[in-house]
Amino acid sequence: MLIALGCIVLTATVYYLSKKIYRRFRFAFLTPLLVAPCILSSLLVGFHINYSDYDSGGRWLSNMLQPAVVGFAVPLYKFRKVMKKYLKVIAISMTTGVTVALISSGVFSHLVHLNDSYLLSLLPRSITTPIAMAVSVDIGGMPTMTAIFVIVTGISGLIIGPMVIRYLHIKEKLAKGLLLGMGAHGAGTSKALEFGSEEGAAASLAMVLAAIFTLVFAPLLTPLIL
Amino acid sequence: MTLKKVFLTIIQVAILYFFALLGNLIVNWTHLPVSGSIVGLFLVLALLHFNVLKLSAVERGASFLMSEMLLFFIPSAVAIIQYKDQILRHGSQFLIVIILSTVTVMIVTGVVAQFYVHRFAGKKGEI
Repeated sequence: MLIALGCIVLTATVYYLSKKIYRRFRFAFLTPLLVAPCILSSLLVGFHINYSDYDSGGRWLSNMLQPAVVGFAVPLYKFRKVMKKYLKVIAISMTTGVTVALISSGVFSHLVHLNDSYLLSLLPRSITTPIAMAVSVDIGGMPTMTAIFVIVTGISGLIIGPMVIRYLHIKEKLAKGLLLGMGAHGAGTSKALEFGSEEGAAASLAMVLAAIFTLVFAPLLTPLIL
Repeated sequence: MTLKKVFLTIIQVAILYFFALLGNLIVNWTHLPVSGSIVGLFLVLALLHFNVLKLSAVERGASFLMSEMLLFFIPSAVAIIQYKDQILRHGSQFLIVIILSTVTVMIVTGVVAQFYVHRFAGKKGEI
């Protein structure tokens, strides 16, 4: 119990410090999602702390993702009128996004000669963890590896998303939000909220739709990709 | 005043947590193929829509959770050290696939969305 509490406090402190560093330099590679885990991993290794001990507290923080996902109901509700107005755009973009996510993960895995069980674990990597793990089980991947790929996707998306927006001159708030939520689930959505509340709402919607569409499309597309 | 705000935030986070748990229960009963938190999201959305739940009853908690969301991803990111062997053997392949695929997905989604926003609405700037 004490260890768990200590791990929560330690994680929150390191997170708070990495956020300060990020605010100071505003450099994409200094995202708290990359800096904080590096510091914490080094501390665990340095002080010979087992991951399972750390996770006795870490689990509580991970659990908070569930109410956070429920919380996305708020931006969705606030912007429901605009969402309705652009329903067609959203449906087209998300169908395309999910299909491209599944196929490109498969094609690039083939190109770097990863075996099928890694390939299958990579397919659902762009959606939120619990559903990604469920899809992974469904199509025959390894759910724990999928959880890792989801996290790495989140970190990559935090760095890649703003670059895509800048270099491709994506000016529409809806497009910014959709590409962040589609490409990098909750992590992308938190980045979208940095851009603005409308972008955040679009990203929340994209995150939810990407998860639901992937549940449906992944089993259908997997035989074609393998 | 600030103490009151902290208290309100904690209560609202608890309300959202309650809906996540309720969502998990529903998923357990019905064997829906989605996660409990997504079911919880739709529950809250429905209650907001039918005015059963006021926006002010969850707004503060939701905005706190969403703005600190990266914190909740950190323990799973730390978990990566458990998979040293796989990462050492295949790490660069994993990274190549994830980065290239993320770039592709983001470009395609962003460009398609922007194209259709212009085509259907013809207005700029507005979401």
